[in-house]
Amino acid sequence: MKEETRNFTTQLAIIGSGIAGFAASIFAVNRKIATAQIGNTGAVAYTTGYLDLLGKMDGAQAAVNDPWQALEQLRKSQSNHPLSRVAVADIHRGFNEFTAFLGECGIAYSQPEKRNITALTPVGTLKQTLCVPATMAAGPRAFAAKKPCVIIDFIGLKGFSGRQVVANLQDRWPNLGTQRIAFPDMVHGEIYPEVMARALEVPATREKLAYTLKNAAGQAKVIGLPAILGMHCPDHVRAELERLTGLEIFEIPTMPPSVPGIRLRELFEQVLPKKGVTLIPQQKVTALDFDDRGATLSLFDSYGPIRIQAQTVILATGRFLSGGLEAHPDGIREHLLDLPVTQPADRTHWYHDRYTDPRGHAIHRAGIEIDDTFRPLRLDGRPYSDRLFAAGIIIAHQDWIRGRSGAGIAIATAFRAVAEAERYLLAETNPEKRV
Amino acid sequence: MDKNGSYLVTAPKQEKGTPMADTQIATINFKEEALRLLPEGASFEACLTCGLCSSGCPASGIENMDPRKFIRMAELGMDVELSTTPWVWCCTQCKRCHHVCPMNIDISQLVFLARSNWPEDKKPSGIVRSCQMILATDSTSAMGLPPADFVFVVDDVLQEVRATQPAFQHLQAPMDKQGAHFFVNQNSREPMSEPDEMVPLWKIFHLVGADWTYSSKGWAAENFCMFSGNETAWYEVIKKRVDAVNELGCQVWLNTECGHSYYTMWQGVKRFNLTANFRLESLITYYARWIREGKLPVNSKWNTKGIKFTVQDPCMIVRKAYGDAIAEDMRFVTRALVGEENFIDMQPNRSANYCCGGGGGFLQAGMTEHRRTYGKRKFDQIAATGAAYVLTPCHNCHSQMEDIGHFYGGNYGVVHFWTLICLSLGILGDNERTYLGPDLLELLD
Repeated sequence: MKEETRNFTTQLAIIGSGIAGFAASIFAVNRKIATAQIGNTGAVAYTTGYLDLLGKMDGAQAAVNDPWQALEQLRKSQSNHPLSRVAVADIHRGFNEFTAFLGECGIAYSQPEKRNITALTPVGTLKQTLCVPATMAAGPRAFAAKKPCVIIDFIGLKGFSGRQVVANLQDRWPNLGTQRIAFPDMVHGEIYPEVMARALEVPATREKLAYTLKNAAGQAKVIGLPAILGMHCPDHVRAELERLTGLEIFEIPTMPPSVPGIRLRELFEQVLPKKGVTLIPQQKVTALDFDDRGATLSLFDSYGPIRIQAQTVILATGRFLSGGLEAHPDGIREHLLDLPVTQPADRTHWYHDRYTDPRGHAIHRAGIEIDDTFRPLRLDGRPYSDRLFAAGIIIAHQDWIRGRSGAGIAIATAFRAVAEAERYLLAETNPEKRV
Repeated sequence: MDKNGSYLVTAPKQEKGTPMADTQIATINFKEEALRLLPEGASFEACLTCGLCSSGCPASGIENMDPRKFIRMAELGMDVELSTTPWVWCCTQCKRCHHVCPMNIDISQLVFLARSNWPEDKKPSGIVRSCQMILATDSTSAMGLPPADFVFVVDDVLQEVRATQPAFQHLQAPMDKQGAHFFVNQNSREPMSEPDEMVPLWKIFHLVGADWTYSSKGWAAENFCMFSGNETAWYEVIKKRVDAVNELGCQVWLNTECGHSYYTMWQGVKRFNLTANFRLESLITYYARWIREGKLPVNSKWNTKGIKFTVQDPCMIVRKAYGDAIAEDMRFVTRALVGEENFIDMQPNRSANYCCGGGGGFLQAGMTEHRRTYGKRKFDQIAATGAAYVLTPCHNCHSQMEDIGHFYGGNYGVVHFWTLICLSLGILGDNERTYLGPDLLELLD
């Protein structure tokens, strides 16, 4: 029995299936670029659903309220930070385009505003973010207005405690209480947000839960739930529960495995193929080769070998968790092309002694170098290939966790990488326009 | 524990079957075996304990076990507990945990290993018996239907159709036809229990002019030997089937509407390095192709009442084998049959779909309560669509979804693709309507 290689050709191949990879696919689809996307299950399923742009500046005590102004400061203090290499107007456009796409495809988001939103975390602390899912939007509003509110948690649900949320917020939100209730028809000891969310897509389950919620709310008119309001139609589930209870309802993200991230992943995986993207999720590219005519990507899926011929490639393979970078005893390497990685001199400099050291850790700024057109660079400073671009946190000189800027780096750099790939494709199609 | 490192354990609770002796289950060193089984670069030590696997596994919680716990216990060296947990018979090896794992960890391989380690008399007797039946005849039928009986049933049904349905007086059901293009397999349930269900398939072949044949040997689709963890028996079954196709010189082994038959054959050929002088293909792909080519001129005009349909993606041919390409074919066929506006996708779907709980031998394992607990998630998926019918090309999915529908008070039916294709074409005989509810039957009157 012979295994036949399946061959695809495309204008743009995107390697990676995190927020950066999916954002790149969205921007490419909107620009009518024929696109293939390949990547192992990214860390996208771990996201809270919040889309941060920039929530914290290095060395500053206070969180960032005005991320656009903070970007200007960043440009001055860290000119090689990936966010400093994208025009503010492009970042704004990228966020608008990304959130609009999500909204059109079934998950409504707030549009980027002038200021960050003060949002609730799974443990009842506060963080600054730029855009939130519509299912979560009432939470920050209720907090700002200090409305009487009850946080609901569930028997058997680990990783979300109403008591913890209230304990952390009670000084700033005096009318906040909590109730623990049973989720309808769940028979096992431990229950998961994913299972609850899917069960709430069944009308009968919503009706049963609504009855319990009304009792748990007491005199409060607003309730906060862990993020369980449906998986593929969350806005409908929330609206239905609000109709059935007469309450205002909002979601709070939970610890992974959390529903908002799974929602995004399943949305991307269903919508992008319908829009023409050749999506090969859950697989890793095993080889990437360039020649004068283009790039060749090799990989395997369950069924057998696949080869993709692409005119351009965007590398959005992430850092350590997603496998874009690998840590070895002798240093950090880029996995696919062995691109040079900017990194601490040796392992002893990767971390400070204390994990919570306010200076952060040098390893979290490791990554590949790019030029002004987002092409990864060789050691000698030349681009690895005119056809290769990079997006996301594989790019060096940023610590997205400390900066609360993960989605911002992903969306902004994907926006620019796709723009540069498009420019290259246009020039290749019309050589006289080549710059 | 005895001196050989084995434990006396109680067999999983079964509602039927022969009483179990107190035989022993040897203890597996799972960590060591994982190193041997996993491809280079993969490691259970890479597990982040994030729980995406357990969150997305319908077997989580059954027997107080879940995929994450399984890995953690392996890491902690809790080999006795893992070697003896009945949960390995509740995990359908659907590989959804593998599919959603950011670290690409495949737990199903360890579950297969654990199953194979159980003594035969400890394994769920329904699965073992089905495997024994498969090995007992050249048919490789889990229901034990011998070749001569299969030949007789096919001919008997064929003669009846020719006599009672004038439009099909020349219908063919070739047997052992040398050099036919398609070698067609058949789930034993049809010839054994509901022979008229074979007829819609024959009619489809007749309409498209397919050059096909059944074989008196190796014709059966099902393979419980793989589910029983009996690798030797799995090999014997696949060898017999491969030999049967090679002997007839067919170019394509065409898997009909049965999920695991494809996977066991495809994986078996690779695993045992067998020489297969033919391609392995799925009937679903051909349905889609024949509709696109106009050979099956189906349409949805018959669906005047806007009856809603959804589709169940069998793990064995979608996530574990072809991937989303065949899932798209299934949706193309469904939309053509019922109308775009009458198709509602289950969530999640395609490669991310949940196993129904009928796979992995669960239906035959006699663990009904656990199986229905597992199936609750599938029931919720179907209920959320509001569809009146589920289409699926898999007999185990079919039976499980019918059962959980009845158990949880669902109001949906489950139909084969071949039934709906013939319904759409107006050629569904009176005896071929077993799975149609009153709403569909009404449209035929």
